[in-house]
Amino acid sequence: MKLKVGFYGITGCAGCLLSVIFNEDEILDLVDLVDLKAFPFVKEVNIDEKFDYVFMEGLVADNDDLKTLKKLRKNSKFLVSLGACASTGCVPAYRQYTLKENYEHLIYKKQKRLQDLKASPIDDHVKVDYYIPGCPPDKKEIVNFVKNLVIGKEPKPFESPVCVECRQNGNQCLLDLGKPCLGPITAGGCDAVCINGKFECWGCRGPTKDMNLDLMIKMLRDRGFDDKFIQDRMRTFVGLKMPMIEEYMCSTGTANRLKTSFKGKKEYFE
Amino acid sequence: MSKTITLNHITKIEGHASLSLGIKNDKVTKCELSATEGSRYFEGIVKGRRYYEAHEMTSRICGVCSCAHVVAAISAVENAFGYKPSKQTKQLRELMTLGERIRSHATHLYFLALPDYVGYGSALAMAKKYRKELQNALNLMKCGNGIIKLLGARELHPVSATVGGWLKIPKEKEIENVKKTLISVREDALKTFSLFSSLNYPEFETESVMFSLVDKNKYSVLDGTFSSGNMKTTKKKYREHIKEYQVPHSNANFVTYDNYQYQVGAMARINNNKKQLHNKAKKLLNKSKIKFPSKNPYTNNFAQAVELVHCIEEAIKLCDSLNLKEEKLDKLKVKAGTGIGCIEVPRGTLWHEYTLDKKGIITNANIITPTAQNLFSVQEDIKELVPSIIKKKKKDIIMDIEKLIRSYDPCFSCSAHFLEVKWV
Repeated sequence: MKLKVGFYGITGCAGCLLSVIFNEDEILDLVDLVDLKAFPFVKEVNIDEKFDYVFMEGLVADNDDLKTLKKLRKNSKFLVSLGACASTGCVPAYRQYTLKENYEHLIYKKQKRLQDLKASPIDDHVKVDYYIPGCPPDKKEIVNFVKNLVIGKEPKPFESPVCVECRQNGNQCLLDLGKPCLGPITAGGCDAVCINGKFECWGCRGPTKDMNLDLMIKMLRDRGFDDKFIQDRMRTFVGLKMPMIEEYMCSTGTANRLKTSFKGKKEYFE
Repeated sequence: MSKTITLNHITKIEGHASLSLGIKNDKVTKCELSATEGSRYFEGIVKGRRYYEAHEMTSRICGVCSCAHVVAAISAVENAFGYKPSKQTKQLRELMTLGERIRSHATHLYFLALPDYVGYGSALAMAKKYRKELQNALNLMKCGNGIIKLLGARELHPVSATVGGWLKIPKEKEIENVKKTLISVREDALKTFSLFSSLNYPEFETESVMFSLVDKNKYSVLDGTFSSGNMKTTKKKYREHIKEYQVPHSNANFVTYDNYQYQVGAMARINNNKKQLHNKAKKLLNKSKIKFPSKNPYTNNFAQAVELVHCIEEAIKLCDSLNLKEEKLDKLKVKAGTGIGCIEVPRGTLWHEYTLDKKGIITNANIITPTAQNLFSVQEDIKELVPSIIKKKKKDIIMDIEKLIRSYDPCFSCSAHFLEVKWV
């Protein structure tokens, strides 16, 4: 029997679901490997029950999202968090670290039907069995994940930092150029795609389990970045999955005791 | 006799929307189109961040048109500093935008719109009978993705475009390869054009005004004046004409131009820029039985197919005219001010506006997406359409309405990060 699979999205940008479809060479065969019961983004009729696997894109932003999420959790054996919004809350959840007055005027006060909730990743509300991180995930990663499920192989997360693949690709280290790259503390598996394009890593796949946050903070300070900038960057994609950065940064924090220095140019746009 | 039609989760669109329709004695008593996507408040989130961070964050508004948000945000910031990018940078931005239009139109036409017209529930279900047609779509999508990946390093949320230039300039050989792919999909675009000119589009006329960027010399992508015939506005004065207001049933703003409902997108672009189309597309259009200017929103799908032919030719031309050399990023003179970026993207005209303080920190942001601008028009069109199809079965009424909504190629992820609102 084929695995019963559904692809769903709650509040998000549809980028992760698109990444599924953008597997131009594989998509038509891929959907044949499974019993695709639901994919509302491209399908008219969607039967939302008795799933083996539900892939969920998006974060919980209102009560509608929560209702959908809970129902699908109940109706599936395994829930897969697809992409950064579902896994970490991504950029929309960054609003927790901004001043309320920044977006307060955008809120319509009389709303009744859709109630805003704290923008949060789905594992704040339900149990998640697997994570495919990234904003968006590598499209091949999604295909491989499904293929693994079909042949009964347990999917394994990529645990080494982005720097591993970045070195393999022979990229010039952006930290050496004085740019605020978060590659050293970020889980890889993305083929260091942003640094391949000479753009620094913003950490969208979430921190590695054994990250050295102290050293990262110190390295960024050495390069002339102030603490607010460092905090903002680290929180943009994965703030809710980071430890209390302030504690690392305060005067008694261990980041202050590290002895490193940076002799390159300190000029990142400013 | 009274009927109520509620479409709670409209499928095959980007994002989430619903429609609530009341009919009494063959008259429409209620018609409310709502974006039900959760609010993400991007305009609030970017406040306090630096000018060179806006595009990386706002690209997350939408996966489908992430290149568009990147380029619009960058243009707005550069506009605030009074900076003009180099010719090469502009060419690269244009090529990436064209690549995105090819990808987006192909995806929308085949995966979201076509199944309605051939009586299938989804493109994936069509794979057995229409494999060849789907292969056209996949080839076109792959070509668009290839362009974006080469220029922007990623297919979604590209990163190499930045304020003041381009981080990684592609090699000449890579551009050669892109050109080869573009040439190889010419045939796919022509087939798409024939397919979409052979479909039977329901007859209907909208009252909406057609707006797009118009440039005398060029089919609009990054430049031009936002206009429709004699109605026009400069970027600077757009707020005097374009008004956003909340409606109590939707999670997105409704937008008007001088109080008129208006439509943006492929059809509006062709209506306003027919003369500037590439010769090949122009010839096809002139021979076709569907005539432009058109006021039938259903023909927006057809317009997208025409644009596919046009964009591929323009992209090939652009590849030929590129004379790539290494360029260092320009250092920008940071100063306080407001900047506006306004470009044509797959679904219409996109506006980004940022106010920056003297250190280059964003103090205010305003973003108006194509779908937000189209929303009012879609709703009014539904209101107009329903009386003429009221004798049909409920199922068919729903089909006609859904077709209409999808023909606009709406993207509710894009439109719904601004406002709250709802049943009052």
